[in-house]
Amino acid sequence: MEMIGHGGKEIIERVLAKDAALKRVEELKAAKVKTLDVRLQLATEILDIAYGFFSPLEGFMTKADVESVINNMTLADGKTVWSIPIVYDISSADLEKSGIKQYDEVLLTYTGNPFAIFDITDIFTLDTKEVAMKVYGTTEDKHPGVKRTYQYQDKFLGGKITLLNPPKINEPFTKFWLTPKQMRERFKEKGWEMIINHQTRNVPHTGHEWLMKGAYLGAYGSMMVDKPRGGILVNAMIGSKRPGDYIDEAIILCQEAQGKHGYFRDDIFLTTCTLWDMRYAGPKEAIFHACLRTNLGCTHHMFGRDHAGVGTYYDPYDAHRIFERLPKGSLNITPIFNLDWWFCPVCDEVTYMGLCGHKDKKASFSGTLIRSIIQDGVKPPRRIFRPEVFDMIMECAEKYGFGDAFVTEDYLKNRQPVFTIGPLK
Amino acid sequence: MAEETYPINIWINEERLEKLQAAGLASMTKEVLAGLKVIAVPNTADQRDKILKIFPVAKYDAATTRSIENMPRQIKDKIFDLIVKNKSLNVMDEFIKSVEK
Repeated sequence: MEMIGHGGKEIIERVLAKDAALKRVEELKAAKVKTLDVRLQLATEILDIAYGFFSPLEGFMTKADVESVINNMTLADGKTVWSIPIVYDISSADLEKSGIKQYDEVLLTYTGNPFAIFDITDIFTLDTKEVAMKVYGTTEDKHPGVKRTYQYQDKFLGGKITLLNPPKINEPFTKFWLTPKQMRERFKEKGWEMIINHQTRNVPHTGHEWLMKGAYLGAYGSMMVDKPRGGILVNAMIGSKRPGDYIDEAIILCQEAQGKHGYFRDDIFLTTCTLWDMRYAGPKEAIFHACLRTNLGCTHHMFGRDHAGVGTYYDPYDAHRIFERLPKGSLNITPIFNLDWWFCPVCDEVTYMGLCGHKDKKASFSGTLIRSIIQDGVKPPRRIFRPEVFDMIMECAEKYGFGDAFVTEDYLKNRQPVFTIGPLK
Repeated sequence: MAEETYPINIWINEERLEKLQAAGLASMTKEVLAGLKVIAVPNTADQRDKILKIFPVAKYDAATTRSIENMPRQIKDKIFDLIVKNKSLNVMDEFIKSVEK
């Protein structure tokens, strides 16, 4: 099966088979290599690197990569488009305490269990203010991506990663987390030649549903209709949460509910997730999403209004315009740009900004507005929000959210993790 | 240009609608989104800032709805009850005083 990913590079899983991993851990222990225990944020990105979600990255970025990413929007090779630094941070104190030096091989652990090997080729510092300005277009720490950048420790380690210990993906995410390789196998089984990605971090309202339907109809183009030759991949970003966000379980199960209840045919619809902490980098994150979904095997990627934006930091269509800046042929995925979908009381339907002539009568239904309705426990009309999706939210609130469909301190403290790393045996 | 009112949207379910109707206040609602009813409770900039301080989980959505969002349901219930009691939408000073105590 063809496994060509972003940048035209073959996707290679950097994962050792169990026997080899057990042997390597014994060797590393005998050699008394240094160990570092990683936090969830880094563990997540190690999985993304190892399974090829971030291909052609084979590890955490070196300084040369980070500088090229922030200044030229490419990796250090000067050709491969990349827009967001993927870095491993560590405090000077911890670095000194560990005794780690350049070219050391380090055993990474997660929750105390062997996790990965880190071949360190670079130890460096970064001007986080410069990184913030160049990636996010602002230095304000109110921006969540900037805040995260400022929270980095003062030193960074670059180098290749090799996974020793695969994750156990916990319910209800187990069937939704597919590696790029598994994703492509699934597309092949379904007979899809065209795969349109829908990026989401929300439960779906009918505006999202029509966004997907519009993109599907548009992209299907002149392909023969004798059998489904293409489908929609909902790829939900599951990652760090803030109070007030939808709980992860509701996001993934509500997305799936659209297919389960026939709003999309089963043979043209697939729900999956990727583990990624959204940076809310707007246009830069749109480029990153395009690279990531190329690795998943997608042929098209839809970008709506204010894609991956936050607050008023970006113009609603900055995430469209940035694609014009890329050299032709630098991405192997076709962007599908969308204007707003809204409810028009005159047309009496959900309709598209590019079609509807009643702009002054429109009723926009942003995610924030829908969230506000759900938070009040009010069931919206089915033309706005599918009743089965609403029921699923309420079910998730009870089952996973400690009575709330939105993230609370209780949820953050007591939820079951999305994945665990067990003992290697 | 009308002065900005930084509203808190209280969405109307059957239970809330019954209370409004019993108090003769059903006309306070407006219909949005395919017949869904809402009461937009106005706030001054000063009231908005106080609300955001008292309820750190709340946020003012300047980008899309231009309203105060993420207010817990129980808190909105209290504001709603004040509206019904006072038969007025101008309840935020009284509400803020009650929660500042």
